[in-house]
Amino acid sequence: MTGHAVVLEVARLEAAHLAALVGQFAELVDGSTPAAEDPAIARLVPTPYPDDDDAAREFRSLTESDLLTRRRADAAIVLLSLAEAAGIPDDPEDPAMLEQVEIRLEPETVRAWLRTLAAVRLVMAERLEITEAEEHDPDDPRFGIYDWLGYRLDGLVASFDEA
Amino acid sequence: MSPLATPAVDEHVDLVHRTDPDRPWQTVVWDDPVNLMSYVTHVFREYFGLPRPEAERLMLAVHNDGHAVVSRGARERMELHAQAMHDYGLWATVRQEPS
Repeated sequence: MTGHAVVLEVARLEAAHLAALVGQFAELVDGSTPAAEDPAIARLVPTPYPDDDDAAREFRSLTESDLLTRRRADAAIVLLSLAEAAGIPDDPEDPAMLEQVEIRLEPETVRAWLRTLAAVRLVMAERLEITEAEEHDPDDPRFGIYDWLGYRLDGLVASFDEA
Repeated sequence: MSPLATPAVDEHVDLVHRTDPDRPWQTVVWDDPVNLMSYVTHVFREYFGLPRPEAERLMLAVHNDGHAVVSRGARERMELHAQAMHDYGLWATVRQEPS
């Protein structure tokens, strides 16, 4: 069995950015856009029956709301664990912005973080129309955020799974 | 008395397309450009309880072959696995084992 508590070290500014991003994600999932009308939502509730519309519809009716509820619950857990670290001063010159803070994540919280970071990346990849792993537009700053989320996800997996 | 009627049954009908209840179902995980290799390995270890080398082998099969069968068995169970994979953000489908 994998998993134990992980201590994450982040700058307050980074925590604030992450909280904002996860907040946007939660709003998107909370919104009433049906999966059929938003490919990003559709990616969070994929069909296991691409060749059988009836079976796909039945499966979706049974699972879609559970999956989206879980995305909301996970996002809420992540936001709660970030709340203290993400408190930043109003003055952008304040050195406290870059102060490194430690966030201790219990195993269940780590799992919510992993699923949320993965899900936010899926949504961003839909928006950025990423179809190849190495496909990047260097002029679009969103790719920087996407890569940064990947870096954080990778680091969290490594700390969580280490023996 | 007439002999027993021999219905004109074409015995080849449906042999190919019918659903064979004994043929197991599969959960298939597909490659995507977004999920990290380390994360997919983590998911296979955590959800299926696989030792790391086995989880990595499966992850690489998804990565290199475009997909991999991660479980075989009853349809309902395969659907549960697929939903679990979706919960992690992986792209999984359910199908009957190709004959």
